[in-house]
Amino acid sequence: MSDSENRPGWAVYATHSGEAAEGGVLGRAGPKIDGRARILGAALYTDDLHLPRMVVGKFVRSTQPHARIVSIDVSGALAMPGVVGYAIGSELPQKYGVIPVAQDETAMAIGKVRYIGEAIACIAAVDEETAHRAVRAVKVEYEPLPAVLTIEDALDPSKPHIHEGSRKPSNILRRIFQEYGDIDKGFAAAEVVIEDTYEYPGSTHVPLETHVALANLEPDGKLTLWSSTQNPHYVHRDVAHVLGMREQDIRLIKPTVGAGYGGKCDPFCTDIVAAHLARKLRRPVKITLEREEVFYTHRGRHPTRMWLKMGFAKDGSITAIDFKAWAEGGAYASYGVVTSYYLGVFMPLPYTLENYRFESHRLYTNKPPCGPKRGHGAIQPRLALEMHIDRAAQALGLDPAEMRRANCIAPDTETCNGLKVTSVGMRECIDAVVTASGYHTRRGALGPGRGLGLAASAYMCGALHPVYQNELSQSCVQLKVDRSGEVTLYSGTADCGQGSVHMLAALCAERLGIEPSDVRVIEGDTSLTPVDLGSYSSRVTFMAGNACVSASDKVREKLAAAVAAKLGVEPAALTFNGRRVFVTTAPDRALSFVDAVWLAEEMFGPIGEVGGYKPHKIGSRFRRQSVGPSPAYSFTAQVAEVSCDLETGIVVVDKIWVAHDCGRAINRTIVEGQIEGCVYMGVGEALFEEQRYRGGLHAVPSLLEYKIPTVHETPEIETFIVETHDPNGPFGAKEAGEGPQLSTVPAIANALHDATGIWFTRPPFTPEVVLAEISRAARAAAQRPPESS
Amino acid sequence: MSDSTNEAAGERVVALTVNGDSVRRLCPSSRTLLDFLRVDLGLNGSKHGCDVGDCGACTVLVDGIPRLSCITLAVEVEGLAVRTIEGAGPDEARIVAAFDEHVASQCGYCTPGIVLCLSHLYSEDPAADDEAIRQALGSNICRCTGYTKILAAARAASQREASQPAQGGSDE
Amino acid sequence: MLPLPTFEYAAPTTVLEASRLLGTPGSRLVAGGTDLLVSMKHRLFEPRLLVSTRRLGLRGVSVADGVLSVGAGTTLREVARHPTVLEHLPSLAAACRTVATPTIQGMATLGGNLMLDTRCLYYNQPAGWRASLGYCLKREGTVCHVAPKGRGCYAAHSADTVPALWLLGAEAEFVSVRGVRRIPVSSMYHDDGMAWLRLEPDDVLTAVHVPLAGRAVGHRKLRTRQAIDYALVLVAVRAPVDGGLWSAVVSSVSPSPIFVEAATPADLAEAAFRACQPLSTHLPAATWRKKMVRVEVARAAAALTSA
Repeated sequence: MSDSENRPGWAVYATHSGEAAEGGVLGRAGPKIDGRARILGAALYTDDLHLPRMVVGKFVRSTQPHARIVSIDVSGALAMPGVVGYAIGSELPQKYGVIPVAQDETAMAIGKVRYIGEAIACIAAVDEETAHRAVRAVKVEYEPLPAVLTIEDALDPSKPHIHEGSRKPSNILRRIFQEYGDIDKGFAAAEVVIEDTYEYPGSTHVPLETHVALANLEPDGKLTLWSSTQNPHYVHRDVAHVLGMREQDIRLIKPTVGAGYGGKCDPFCTDIVAAHLARKLRRPVKITLEREEVFYTHRGRHPTRMWLKMGFAKDGSITAIDFKAWAEGGAYASYGVVTSYYLGVFMPLPYTLENYRFESHRLYTNKPPCGPKRGHGAIQPRLALEMHIDRAAQALGLDPAEMRRANCIAPDTETCNGLKVTSVGMRECIDAVVTASGYHTRRGALGPGRGLGLAASAYMCGALHPVYQNELSQSCVQLKVDRSGEVTLYSGTADCGQGSVHMLAALCAERLGIEPSDVRVIEGDTSLTPVDLGSYSSRVTFMAGNACVSASDKVREKLAAAVAAKLGVEPAALTFNGRRVFVTTAPDRALSFVDAVWLAEEMFGPIGEVGGYKPHKIGSRFRRQSVGPSPAYSFTAQVAEVSCDLETGIVVVDKIWVAHDCGRAINRTIVEGQIEGCVYMGVGEALFEEQRYRGGLHAVPSLLEYKIPTVHETPEIETFIVETHDPNGPFGAKEAGEGPQLSTVPAIANALHDATGIWFTRPPFTPEVVLAEISRAARAAAQRPPESS
Repeated sequence: MSDSTNEAAGERVVALTVNGDSVRRLCPSSRTLLDFLRVDLGLNGSKHGCDVGDCGACTVLVDGIPRLSCITLAVEVEGLAVRTIEGAGPDEARIVAAFDEHVASQCGYCTPGIVLCLSHLYSEDPAADDEAIRQALGSNICRCTGYTKILAAARAASQREASQPAQGGSDE
Repeated sequence: MLPLPTFEYAAPTTVLEASRLLGTPGSRLVAGGTDLLVSMKHRLFEPRLLVSTRRLGLRGVSVADGVLSVGAGTTLREVARHPTVLEHLPSLAAACRTVATPTIQGMATLGGNLMLDTRCLYYNQPAGWRASLGYCLKREGTVCHVAPKGRGCYAAHSADTVPALWLLGAEAEFVSVRGVRRIPVSSMYHDDGMAWLRLEPDDVLTAVHVPLAGRAVGHRKLRTRQAIDYALVLVAVRAPVDGGLWSAVVSSVSPSPIFVEAATPADLAEAAFRACQPLSTHLPAATWRKKMVRVEVARAAAALTSA
């Protein structure tokens, strides 16, 4: 193999057919600019950073689900050689949280503990083993309180409040009630009404990199904090807030991050306590969580009980939806207020609906806090809704695929709850997976224990409104153009592996007619990079991408003006492509990109530009609709093929066909990877994953017992990209990192019905559950009178 | 050779080769190979994922065979040859190029371990088939990719792919 | 990260020296370390001295007089790939290949597998977790959480190679300062999760001897995932000759593997089902695991019949 074939860059790109964009970067397949650093182990993650005199911190954690802390005795730990200091909760009394209306958390417990595994104190020592032994030498005396461990407990007014001072009658963080249209009229018009309850289990993210923070007090009294976070901006704000420091005196750096999937969206005790101890001890402090601790840190999927009633007309159109959800949220709010909205607001997508009512509850329990996991809040109700549609199709004698197709919302519509939808590729997605899977001919024809199932879904591309009220840009990008032709792109985003660094480089390169590898991306450093709100709510491509295009356009304007003057043409007559700027109608009249930069610098001085993005104000008919509206929505359809061993109950997902409307694929391989990752995570939730507890104690806090799929349990995934060129996305792009997970579990559930004739309403579909249902169904069939066959 | 008894209690000199370099360090008996590499040698490419041998993020090659360095004692590889991702060379070039091309690394935390596992696989069977690749990848957890791109890259890195015309229907 | 406790380390060059060191309190033998070091990180053991097998010369496979002799320090990967094993003892090869992951098979030894600690959902957990639970009978506590009113510890025998070796008529060779002795694998284990090995602390397992002329044995391992996981039900089945009985060994359902015999495969499956009383040592329901004993034995027997 020749040397050049091994080099990253344009030489190894596969050519891609399709609409040729001007810069020739969009829609390519192939490498991302930061790929090799990760592949070769050269990328530095937070745990890879070592500073002179650095000590490590380790947390003392609660062994009680709900208890008063009578005393904390650290004297035994401090007497050990190698222990250099400690911190306890009362040193950091300021409450914090990303959602301003629900700041109920302190860095470590003060006065009482609310879940097993909650941080109580932190011991700093010269190495991990000393810290570990010292932590075990800390004596904590508890006075146990009755624990609130279930949805029933949380709704029971006789149970104690987990958070004192709550004015709610029970442990409810938030109740949301919204009603649109006329529910009663809708049900009156229904030919068929389907009503059932569903239980969706809690699950957790399991990024392979645990949470890590490293803090260093600089000689000038300022603080540098390295954190494995998805949201540098929010961590920056909250650490300053809790430490009582000026934000400008803290530099928050996000090194390479070993994935998040929503699990690294909150500011954590690691961040705040490392920063606090670095100031207290005046030496660098690193805290690297153990795998077990990540299960307690959690912020994952809310276990959710759902009741869903849907009315359907004879033609399969939906006449009404009435929906209730109770989400068990654990001991702190985290993003729970947002969860309570997301449980309901996306239900009017992607099918036409006039009459809709939902009531959701986000509850407190004495368990690790739940928060935003991929597909935040929308995953659970999607299972209920998509199974209801298959059940209605069965009752009405309709084809489930045709029924979905016929009821898709049209582009440029407003839903009954005021979501303004722009581009919609729903039908194209359904068609792609139905055709590829042979759904129409193979469903119901695969024999006992085998089946096909379809589901569809829609998701957001960033929240219209920021979590704390402001009128500023939600994403900013700054560009510096060097005389060498290198463009440095500064962005506050946090690439956790999803490829946003490459996305930014590709958009910039597309506008400037250069290669992504010509763009150096500096991201996630509050002292170097302009603010971006972070990697959550599927917002980065849409929002940071738009900011990037805006900044790139300003650079392009200057370069075009300078080149146009030199060549004696209008700027609009120029094309930027192949590291050249040339007259579109006479490509030989050209300057190199570097020459263009020199000319522009002569004309305008140093070249640096900024771009920002905030969504257009979208007036809604509904004042209440502050959480949920997004500048665009993505759409997904998938078909699952499953095999169920009828003797053991073991379910295998053989294949998933998935089609996703991402608006526009900036890099096809990265988009496919996001879709495949979503499907994988959905398969895990469908078959294996659950945060299980024994009382308040997490039952399976390890990668051995919390079963995430290995390569052997992962189905073949065939991916189709549908492009609808959204009018507001950067070059038409929407999202791909979360939406595709929504329809995976319902597709598998519907396939399982095809395989067994049973509607399984509670994932994960473990062998014991599946076998029990199969046996029950067999007994019921045996008892049924013969004429009913 | 380094089995001397005059070392401080619990500490031993460990001598071995790492990526071809001779290395000699005094370290506690309880030092894992992973921390020996990361803390003593500053080779950070091998990762702490689970620390108990479940995930494979710490995989290195010892005398050419994959080992989980988080549950290997540094003293137990005394005198042996260790290869980490930092030592990736011509043997891994094909794998690295394929992982890059297929974007088989998302967050990257699992990737060095997987590259080394595949390097071992191809050292034994340069034309490993899909089943052999799957079996080998069973040692490593990836939480990002759904393995699809990893399988595609591994397939592309196998000599089998090079010797056979590409089968149709692939969307990678 | 999760650190190891501190300890002293010795790598003796003779088995007798190893046995002598193991005779001192607080010592433990380490071979592949894939289970022991994890348990040490979980503070299930905090030995004063680790005695390594790496210089004892226990690695290698030989064949003589119709008997395969495997050095206890031979890795599972080496056993599974040995041509004689593949040809004459495919069930042993299969059992080795189902252990954890291929990487672990390249580290873990056959001797280590025979000596594997019994396992339980309430025992194989980190120290802080076990403190929250109030510990368990097997380690630091007084109550068995699997059977609070039971008579002891029910941690499950989980060594993947043992059921097959048992039915293959394998013998384990031990050396100590008292001499050399051979024990059939079938009589190595007690039905007690805390004292599951019929051995002295200074017994060093040096080799496993397997007759090559044994009857066909089938091996099955039921697990949630096809890599990483320990067995939920582990089964070996042996076909009869000349109108004899079918036999099965079922493991992962109790502290000692369970042996049953019957005239037909169907009777064998039923006998195994009746003999096994799995408890909640594993996450999936014990009632389901009990049903799976019948299914797995029947399937193993069916595979032998069709082969």
